[in-house]
Amino acid sequence: MSVIEIEEKSVEDAIKVACEKLKLPREMLEIEIISKGSSGIFGIVGVKKAKIRVKLKAPSYETAAEKAKEILTKILEYVNLPTVVEAEARQDHVYLNIISNGSGLLIGKKGQTLSALQYLVSRMISKEFGQNIPIVVDTENYRARREKTLQELAKQLSKKVKKAKKPIATGPMSAQDRRIIHLTLKDDPSVRTKSKGEGNMRRVVIYPVKTAGRNQKNNGRRQNR
Amino acid sequence: MKELKDLVAVIARALAEHPDKVDVREIEGQNTCVIELRAAKEDLGKIIGREGRNAHAIRTILNAAATKLRKRAVLEIIE
Repeated sequence: MSVIEIEEKSVEDAIKVACEKLKLPREMLEIEIISKGSSGIFGIVGVKKAKIRVKLKAPSYETAAEKAKEILTKILEYVNLPTVVEAEARQDHVYLNIISNGSGLLIGKKGQTLSALQYLVSRMISKEFGQNIPIVVDTENYRARREKTLQELAKQLSKKVKKAKKPIATGPMSAQDRRIIHLTLKDDPSVRTKSKGEGNMRRVVIYPVKTAGRNQKNNGRRQNR
Repeated sequence: MKELKDLVAVIARALAEHPDKVDVREIEGQNTCVIELRAAKEDLGKIIGREGRNAHAIRTILNAAATKLRKRAVLEIIE
């Protein structure tokens, strides 16, 4: 985020100018006073301008959660479904839960629709706050269910890999899904995971690791997402 | 009655720098309706997104909304 410095007669003036310049309320700015400035003697001798450094304050996840909820609710109004959105600021992301009639319409094939909603909401939020805030959109506990299926899949595939001693690739997957596969197999020393392919065709390849005669070479293994 | 074109308009306006210049029209056919989206030239890229990601996401949501109405919807972004 950009940092700007402003010099004015007094600290208050400088803050005012900063707010006008950035078109933001004071609460959203992080202000650091470099020099307070002094009006000198009779305003003639030793006049020093006040100098401040202004940074955009990292928006709290609570604020972002509120805004995200508003945006998502607005979008969903136009989908002919009764929905309620719940927002929750979690430790490392904003979690939005859509409560609906459970038709799966909002999930779509392989979570397509849900991902689209999540993507658009995070784009709008990052535009609004000028920085990226991780947002997760969920409905009917889909994310947790998906995580479980993917973990199962990862374990099954790794078993196959160990048996066949040949690398196996998963189908094309989103970054989120790939991450789960990588994380599931992270602690398994007998396989190694890597993402391959471009764009929408990126997939995870699981390789067998030859353990005989090698002293734990996979410690510095790359975690490609 | 909330219409499909409003859904597209809301999303496109949120992405655009000049929301007032976003214009959406709906041409209804028997089963399919075509939604035409026009916007300020500099905003087209913003609406389409990198490698069409935004446009793709808009179409996905549009399809979900249209399915509910038992219709098919096509989004055309017009230069």
